[in-house]
Amino acid sequence: MAATAAVTAGSRRRRNRAPAVGAGNDDAEEHHHNPFLETASSAPSRVQFRNVASRARWVEEAGATEVVESKGKLWLTTGVTRGGKLCYNIEEIGFLVERSALILLNDKDQTIGIENIYEKIAGGKYGCSWDTFQAYKHLKSLGYIVGRYGVPWTLKNSGTSDTNQSFNKVDGTCSDITKSLKEMHIDRLTPSFEVYLPNSMFKKSSPGAPNFLLCLLRNKPFSRVELEMLENNFGGIPLKYCHVDNNGRVSFLCFDEVALPSLP
Amino acid sequence: MMDLPGPRWKKGKDAKDFAAVAAAKPMSRIVAKLQASLKDSEAMAILSGDGGDAILAIGRKQAKLLNRAAFGRHIENAGEEERQWFQLRPEEVFFLCHALKCISVQSENKKQMDEAQLWDLFTSTSEPFPEMYKAYQHLRLKNWVVKSGLQYGADFVAYRHHPALVHSEFAVIIVPEGKEFGSRCGRLQVWSDLLCALRASGSVAKTLLVLTISTKGCDLASSDCLGQLIVHERAITRWIPQQCREQHDKPQREEANGDVQIQKPCSEDASKEEREETREGVAFSYWGVILSFTILSSLLVYKLKF
Repeated sequence: MAATAAVTAGSRRRRNRAPAVGAGNDDAEEHHHNPFLETASSAPSRVQFRNVASRARWVEEAGATEVVESKGKLWLTTGVTRGGKLCYNIEEIGFLVERSALILLNDKDQTIGIENIYEKIAGGKYGCSWDTFQAYKHLKSLGYIVGRYGVPWTLKNSGTSDTNQSFNKVDGTCSDITKSLKEMHIDRLTPSFEVYLPNSMFKKSSPGAPNFLLCLLRNKPFSRVELEMLENNFGGIPLKYCHVDNNGRVSFLCFDEVALPSLP
Repeated sequence: MMDLPGPRWKKGKDAKDFAAVAAAKPMSRIVAKLQASLKDSEAMAILSGDGGDAILAIGRKQAKLLNRAAFGRHIENAGEEERQWFQLRPEEVFFLCHALKCISVQSENKKQMDEAQLWDLFTSTSEPFPEMYKAYQHLRLKNWVVKSGLQYGADFVAYRHHPALVHSEFAVIIVPEGKEFGSRCGRLQVWSDLLCALRASGSVAKTLLVLTISTKGCDLASSDCLGQLIVHERAITRWIPQQCREQHDKPQREEANGDVQIQKPCSEDASKEEREETREGVAFSYWGVILSFTILSSLLVYKLKF
């Protein structure tokens, strides 16, 4: 009857639909916002804006911020604690400011604008490049918990940690955050981030082992030998790789060793 | 090590998939029967002029085995009833000749070719033949069926059994390593190449398998090098952060223990494609029912009123 006809028509339409191109890709069917429509004034924003913003002060020597006033819940999974103070690194600042969740201040309590923050990231002096920032944002927006590799989530007192000797004891500021990534060579393949799956019970005091480490892919693909060496260094924790193209599009890859079974 | 995706069996007319057929007739047995049969009849392949492919004339029983083992391509010939003609690609010729030792090969001017001459011919016709053949042999010896991958943007595609029974699981790209291979090591040396290959394989629901062929030093001019070549297998897959996040929305109680890693493999291309289609399909037919119900009831009301 009519009901069945509608259902069959639906099925026919479904079959005639082109198969999902690039199935499994997160940007398979690109959604192009139509700028020729009268009603559309600007591209729809996919960023959720916060009503309440935290405030933080930029500390140049540390290349990071000290949070002055914390609002909302993002801080539970963002930033590190140093001597009781919450510190954000440059990619965290960028992410939070873009979402109006943070107001960044200079030492004169004037607001530092987003363009200034973008400059700092692009300059690459604070341990995070523009590409790395894209990767960070992509995962953070999806709810993943992302921290810089090798940077502890908390350091209770101002004693030196063994991961680095440059911890600033003077006023307990978080200068170890930036130094860590500076020591990494651009071309040597090392993880940039440790990533945890979205978890409402995440505790910085006991984060547990990350679900995977993320390596940003550099200029050219690495060799099999380099890959094996890298995997040997982090035996146990899965590695994922992130490629950022010139358009700022982010792809995540796995390079897994396999053993094709011998078939009967 | 990564969990490999499972096979996608094709379905027969009775809507049952062919997994049972494949299980009942394992490829190793088919190949063994073919090998014995070709040896017995002293089968001989003749090289076609351009030095790449060869043609093979065999009896009907052997043709059935050759078809089932998925070697070569049948040449339609209305004239012949008893003899069946097949075209074999170089890797297949060399495999039957060198690995299975069940055929001999003649040049187009009736000259018998030994293995060394065949190797010379194939490597001079196609520089990458050493690594391509090594990969072909590696997969075939594990009883995977290997066919050309050009339609899928790869060197080979690998099937778990005959292509009529199962979809191919892997798009295979071969990357040699070592100075013996010269500039051929330059494959997949830029990210765009790798991402293109990945996208091409993904769009046809296959996992990209990169076979790296390494050597400690050997002379590619002789087929003896085959014993010195080592095949390394790696699968390059795309990871979809949105998909994994959906699987882990609930708070993890295990996380509290601190030392447990929760890494569920995120289902890749094929199954995601299937899931997406099912989701869309169900939604569509649901609305179809709602719509037709609305139309029907409005018609009914209209009829009742007048």
